Amino acid sequence: MTGEPINRFPVKPWPAVQAPRASETTVTQRSARRRTAAALIVVIALLMPMAAMPAVSAKEPPSAAPTPIPIFPAPSFTVGVTEDIDSMNPFTGIVSTAHEMYQLMYPTLTSSATDDFSAVPGLAESWQESDDKTTWTYKIRPGLTWSDGKPLTARDAAYTFKRIIEGDYEQTNYGSYVANITKAEAPDDGTLVLSVKRPTPVMLRLAVYVLPEHVWSEIDGKEVRSYANEPTADQPVVGAGPYVLVERRKGQFIRFQANPNYYLGKPNIDELTFRVYTNADAVAQALRKGEIDFADDMQANVFNAVKGESGITGVNATYYGFNQIGFNVGAALTDGTPIGDGHPALKDPRVRQALNHAINREALVRIVLAGYGTPGSTIIPPLYANLHLQPATLFDYDPERAGQLLDEAGYPLGADGKRMNKNGKPLSFRLLGRQESPQSRQTVQFVAGWFEDLGLTIDTKIVSEDTLIELNGEGRFDIFEWGWVVEPDPDYQLSTFTCAQRSSQKDGTIYAGLSDSHFCNEEYDQLYAAQAVETDVAKRAAIVRAMQQIVYDQAPYAVTFYYDKLQAYRSDRFTDFTQQPKDAGPLLFQFGTWSYQSITPVGAAGTGGESGTNGASDADGDGGPNLALMGGLAALVVAGIGVAVVIGRRRSAGEDTE
Amino acid sequence: MGPGTRYALRSIASGLGTLLFVVVFNFFLFRLLPGDPIGLYTRGRNVPPEQIAALRAELYKPIAEQFLTYLANPLATTINSARYNRPVWELICERIGATLLLVGTATVLAAVIGTWIGIRAAWKRGQRFDKVSTAVTLTLYAMPEFWLGMLLLITFGVGIGVLPGMFPIGGIRTPGVDASSLAGWLDIVWHMVLPVTTLMFTYLAEYALVMRASLIDEMGQDYLTVARAKGLLDRTVRRRHAVPNAILPTITLIFLNLGFVVSGAITVETVFSWPGLGLLSYEALRGPDIALLQAIFLLFSFGVIVANIIADLLYAVLDPRVRS
Repeated sequence: MTGEPINRFPVKPWPAVQAPRASETTVTQRSARRRTAAALIVVIALLMPMAAMPAVSAKEPPSAAPTPIPIFPAPSFTVGVTEDIDSMNPFTGIVSTAHEMYQLMYPTLTSSATDDFSAVPGLAESWQESDDKTTWTYKIRPGLTWSDGKPLTARDAAYTFKRIIEGDYEQTNYGSYVANITKAEAPDDGTLVLSVKRPTPVMLRLAVYVLPEHVWSEIDGKEVRSYANEPTADQPVVGAGPYVLVERRKGQFIRFQANPNYYLGKPNIDELTFRVYTNADAVAQALRKGEIDFADDMQANVFNAVKGESGITGVNATYYGFNQIGFNVGAALTDGTPIGDGHPALKDPRVRQALNHAINREALVRIVLAGYGTPGSTIIPPLYANLHLQPATLFDYDPERAGQLLDEAGYPLGADGKRMNKNGKPLSFRLLGRQESPQSRQTVQFVAGWFEDLGLTIDTKIVSEDTLIELNGEGRFDIFEWGWVVEPDPDYQLSTFTCAQRSSQKDGTIYAGLSDSHFCNEEYDQLYAAQAVETDVAKRAAIVRAMQQIVYDQAPYAVTFYYDKLQAYRSDRFTDFTQQPKDAGPLLFQFGTWSYQSITPVGAAGTGGESGTNGASDADGDGGPNLALMGGLAALVVAGIGVAVVIGRRRSAGEDTE
Repeated sequence: MGPGTRYALRSIASGLGTLLFVVVFNFFLFRLLPGDPIGLYTRGRNVPPEQIAALRAELYKPIAEQFLTYLANPLATTINSARYNRPVWELICERIGATLLLVGTATVLAAVIGTWIGIRAAWKRGQRFDKVSTAVTLTLYAMPEFWLGMLLLITFGVGIGVLPGMFPIGGIRTPGVDASSLAGWLDIVWHMVLPVTTLMFTYLAEYALVMRASLIDEMGQDYLTVARAKGLLDRTVRRRHAVPNAILPTITLIFLNLGFVVSGAITVETVFSWPGLGLLSYEALRGPDIALLQAIFLLFSFGVIVANIIADLLYAVLDPRVRS
């Protein structure tokens, strides 16, 4: 109910309607006993807001309200999310949606283009790598201010980088970006100079949020760990992104207001709210009802149910995540010491290739993703067209070929239809799925079936993600299901297959690195080192493709699918979203804040939306009749309960005297 | 020292003993959980390996050291949650209000209404009110909370057919409404209606049935016949003589249940996106965030133990037989 109409009328509608209810109360009081009256008051108190609603729907400005109601209330856009943001402090937050908040609040030096994710100007309007490749110079846009009016200059940027380089805890979210940066200086207000140990392409997309020095210099290295970075009643969080954080309620909502000083101009939507719901179904219902305007990350069945409804548009956006069946290719520590109890057969690439051929990726997309995705191949999703490698020969679904490969590897079919180990025992693998993900549970079921069809014995187990990380790290697994979300810069993803990311040991305890397959390949590591210092975009892309080919052929992973991100929005209220990449990618939760800059209320000036009859001013129109009806119903309920209670009392009073 | 004081001291001592056991047990229980929280929290983020190692070192100190830190500060006012990087106690304080409001209101309403139903049902045993109320409360009792919650949400939150969706889908407040104003308070009440109703419905049967049974037991007593013979109104007999004697078990029940108010209703909080402790403990299980988990569970146990002690003591006050 609440969400949308009240957003539009952020005044106090309640007092205006209390009077009539109150008089009803006194009438009842006279004819009833004290207890009855008390009960009634409780009931009325509960129903009061209900009764108050007609005032909202009738759009009568409550006379008691001190502030005048604008005729065209500020357009407010509400996004429903299924996970609360863990922290508004950009050094602390870990959930993926947290980055949406940070990029709304703070600028970054560069941004990712909407068409192909290439680096485009952000806070820096231009940049230049020095000829000797030891420094990068960024020209900061002139004349910018923070939301509190203080000037925003290159000194703030230098401060932020210095703080991370010299910091301890500050490294947690950004350490890999600054690993090569030795010095951050601002020779003048318009210039930032970063010195690097060796050439690195990551300088083109440093996803480091530039913070206001005058605010953060007050927070020392110890305090920053638990610093909440939340607004107080009259003090928004100082920022310079498209939006300014004005209110945060944990587990409930996060409210932003448009920043008039944003360097790309003030966004069209004045107020932006993220509301937290604890289950995907609630988000869908809230969208249907109009409590929210945008639903992110929906489940396929829910998405299918709402996308056809009038006023709602669903978009299955191509996304940059993939899922995989991963293999234990020989778990080891970084120094090569073998660990764990992985099945030795999986060290043989032919066995892993055979299992690749046994997976029917089309079927997984059709059934597990309900069609919203594409079959997987390499570890950089095709969305990154400049980097993705489409292998010349694919591990297509071919059980026969899979069988041949297993025969060649020395695991022939036994008389009972089971494949035999080299010492005559059945060839048997453990397969782990993730508790948290219905798609994972479903995928392992199918995969286990296909593997068993090959004559393998499969022991499927579902574990929680934190347990899986531990098992991965200790090498106590054979095959597992998981996935990754890949950034525009491929470095992180590529690093997960390097020898250095295998497990490490400290005081007798083994800790997981990023590698969950324990893949280690000399040629791959050399290429990884080469791409890390290649600042020429095209040359680097060629290296990255070669690396994908190695991983594909060696098959530590069988990439199962690239899933779509399912988003839906109230197209009867808002229009002009910007997809990234164009016409295919997500509408929100992108690399950059492009959509927030372009979204327009339907019917607002400058848009020729097809639903032009629905003006912004009556965008909550379909809530109106419901509200009126509801008010009536509320009055009826109150009256009904009152009458019932009074009659009940009378009757029992009558009985007593008999 | 009279028998009453001795009884009270015994109740409190046994409560404290239980609490001490819980404090110790709680520590070791959560350390048996498998999982690599730091691995999970840092996965997919640009955290340098040295920083991951530092985070792990902080979390996995020697067990004796961990135990002493915990004993010195069981509610973790200074111990940081592994996931949120903030003192655990702060996280709990942010959420506890919402849970107390939701479950507390539901418990009180259920106790009042349930007791009232129980009294009426017993007094008119076998009549229509008795039959209907027993059937209805038992049916509500048998329903899983989340299912009843979802039914109410779909019917009154989303709306069915001509019935409009009157109540919010979830949450405790409407963004943008000033929380300190009257509108803000009413907004919260408005958001409470569905979750409180759900919880209240499921709690109702307990009170109604206990009250009914206990009053029926009392109704055959001679002193009621005497009271009636004195010419007292039926209502007066019920209110002044029968109910005060029969209400004892219900009072115990109310206090026992008040102990569960903190532990809340994870399922109902999930259905209605209620930002309470139930949700926080669910989030803490992912990881697992051990410091947060153990503080929450300690709090839950503490609530139950204290409520038990109060119930014990109150029983003694209300019923002299217990004291001797």
